[in-house]
Amino acid sequence: MKRAAILAVALALVALVAMPGFSQTAAQKANLAASLKVDTSVLKSADNQLLLAPSTDNRKVPTRPADPSALPETDPLHWYDMEWAGWNVTPTNLPKSPADGAIGKKIIFIVHGSHPWTTACTSGAKKVADAYKMSFKVLDPNWVKDVQDQMIDQAINEKPDMILLIPLDAKGAVQQARKINQAGIPLHMFNTLPDAAALNYSLGWTGPDDFGQFRLLAKAWADQMRKQNPGAKTLGVAYVQHAPGGSPYFARSFGPISELATYAPEVKTLEKASPTPATFDANTTMQLVSDWLTKYGKDLKGICASDDSAQSLGIFQALEKAGRTDVVVVAAGNSKQGMDLVKEGKLFGITYQTAEGDGALAVKYAADWFNGKAMPLRQNLAQHIITKADVDKFYPPQW
Amino acid sequence: MRKLGKNSLLAFGDKYRIYILFALVFAFMSLFAPRFFNVFNITSILKVISMNACVAIGFTVVMICGQLDLSIGTVITFAGVLALGLKPALGYAGSIAVAVVAGGLVGVLNGLLVAKAKINSFIVTLGTMTVLQGAIYQFSGGNSISVSTPDAFVISDFLGKSLLPLLTPRILISLVLVLAMEAYLRRTRSGRNFYLVGGNRNTAWLAGIPTDKYTVAAFVLSGVGAAIGGVLSVLESTAATLKLGENSLMYVISATIIGGTAMSGGKGGVLRSVVAIFTLEMLYTGVILFGLGNEVKIFIAGLILAYVVLYEAYATYKHENDLGRRPELMKELEARRMAKEKA
Repeated sequence: MKRAAILAVALALVALVAMPGFSQTAAQKANLAASLKVDTSVLKSADNQLLLAPSTDNRKVPTRPADPSALPETDPLHWYDMEWAGWNVTPTNLPKSPADGAIGKKIIFIVHGSHPWTTACTSGAKKVADAYKMSFKVLDPNWVKDVQDQMIDQAINEKPDMILLIPLDAKGAVQQARKINQAGIPLHMFNTLPDAAALNYSLGWTGPDDFGQFRLLAKAWADQMRKQNPGAKTLGVAYVQHAPGGSPYFARSFGPISELATYAPEVKTLEKASPTPATFDANTTMQLVSDWLTKYGKDLKGICASDDSAQSLGIFQALEKAGRTDVVVVAAGNSKQGMDLVKEGKLFGITYQTAEGDGALAVKYAADWFNGKAMPLRQNLAQHIITKADVDKFYPPQW
Repeated sequence: MRKLGKNSLLAFGDKYRIYILFALVFAFMSLFAPRFFNVFNITSILKVISMNACVAIGFTVVMICGQLDLSIGTVITFAGVLALGLKPALGYAGSIAVAVVAGGLVGVLNGLLVAKAKINSFIVTLGTMTVLQGAIYQFSGGNSISVSTPDAFVISDFLGKSLLPLLTPRILISLVLVLAMEAYLRRTRSGRNFYLVGGNRNTAWLAGIPTDKYTVAAFVLSGVGAAIGGVLSVLESTAATLKLGENSLMYVISATIIGGTAMSGGKGGVLRSVVAIFTLEMLYTGVILFGLGNEVKIFIAGLILAYVVLYEAYATYKHENDLGRRPELMKELEARRMAKEKA
């Protein structure tokens, strides 16, 4: 009798200890089931486009050359480690998905700096985070890498379920990613491409295929220049570059340069420079382009800008001052100013680079990972070039 | 016991204002800012300030000498870029040595132009800053420089690893440098001479102090301090961005003045500047922890800068006002006049 009583008490104790585990698992299962039911495919961005449009890119990943840097900068494979970063990584110590559902997860969203684009990106991210009832915190280092490093420390200190990061500097991202990985916190990087080594420590990367978009844009740009200058043996062009250091700096100038080396060899790069001291300032850009127009005159047939707002406004101020309407200008988009310039027929084309979709795709990636889905190392946003023919479809602009 | 009067209290408050401010900010943040008071966060703040602490060492000495060094931000970047950029060719020992020496040479150039050519330090260091910016872009090709080799990660991990609570090697190095410089300035004759040079250059010269040498030495300390700060920063982050030192200039100037170093020279201290940097960083961290936006941080930085400018204007006014109110001097002059009249 005594033994039976002891056995009963022991069994009751075991059951008590085990019960929370069982109930937690049940709660997790319920959370997962509820999370999987969340439908984000119906969400729309401010420009009435689908927030999470699937990528249309079907290019195959080429084989990595033994030493890409040994190839000339005009060879697309020279940029292999940037353009195809993420495809050939060896993930290091990556955490496994808890597969317990995205609902209620705490994510910290570290952006690069204050800008209307960032506001739109954050808004898109929040739409998806809200759909999953996630706790969503944004940290903004205002374009200073040291501050971003500090914010990463702060984020680690808060022990979130995941950190989502726009790396401010491609090369500096390696140690940032490594630090988060060592803290055991899942990391997802998005928007700007980090150095390939950084992706060893990240679950994945999502964002615009800047190189791909600019290769697409370059072809349309070259076709238009050929159309406007029939029979021209040389088409001189210049690139207004992004801030040095980040992936757009390379993708938005060397992307077209390496693409046109084979697609349109008559296109010759006359100049490429980042406006200094202010990269995204209309006056600084106007001064830079005015100098080019003075130096090259009619030989300058096209300009490719890294930004369709301030930089593009500066370019057109310079062109108007010089009385030039023959220069074919393209840019990275798609801000209100950029779309207005396309509508006016000034800008020939801009890339459709959905800011809201960029943030949204990053959070969706996180949600899918929490839901236990097998995630690709890299997911690109849909590619498209906006021209006067279809610009109306993208109004009202996201930023 | 002597009773403290209102004036004594004001004088005490003025003398130790940075320590009082530090204590108030620390107490406020510890009580109200979420997740502020823990080892990880304080260590993180100390790590962040360690670069600017090294920079403040030399910069404070330059200001004590009554000069200004606008080139510190670019020296940080220059040294960082050299330390990582030359690593493949020279190894870490060689590249770090070159980076620190380069910082010192920039200081020599600044110092000689100020002391010997008698050019205003504002103009000289503005020029050096611009030239260095060009050199950095030339050397780096406009790109950040990074090292992702295993030895780079070993050094990075070592510098960032806590040896004792709150103390990583990088923080420790900065702390030792700060305390050593503070002791040198306070406890040695040559250290105190910097104050004399800044307080009154002519009197110092008449007292036999080689003022030009001290001016050059101050700029060399500033260059070397900025270079060490830059090198330590890039060694831990394994990457040197071209904007590395961009924010340091205004940050260190504000902190040095808040710390009590007079722009007119002759007054101040390295430790005070570093405590001011710590205080500012606590404020900025608090903004993040309270979940406030970047605009609030910019607003606070603006307020601090406005305070610094107003305080400096007030201090200059007070100093000039006090010059005409020296009762002991007036008494001495009166006594001399009386003696002369008697004679």
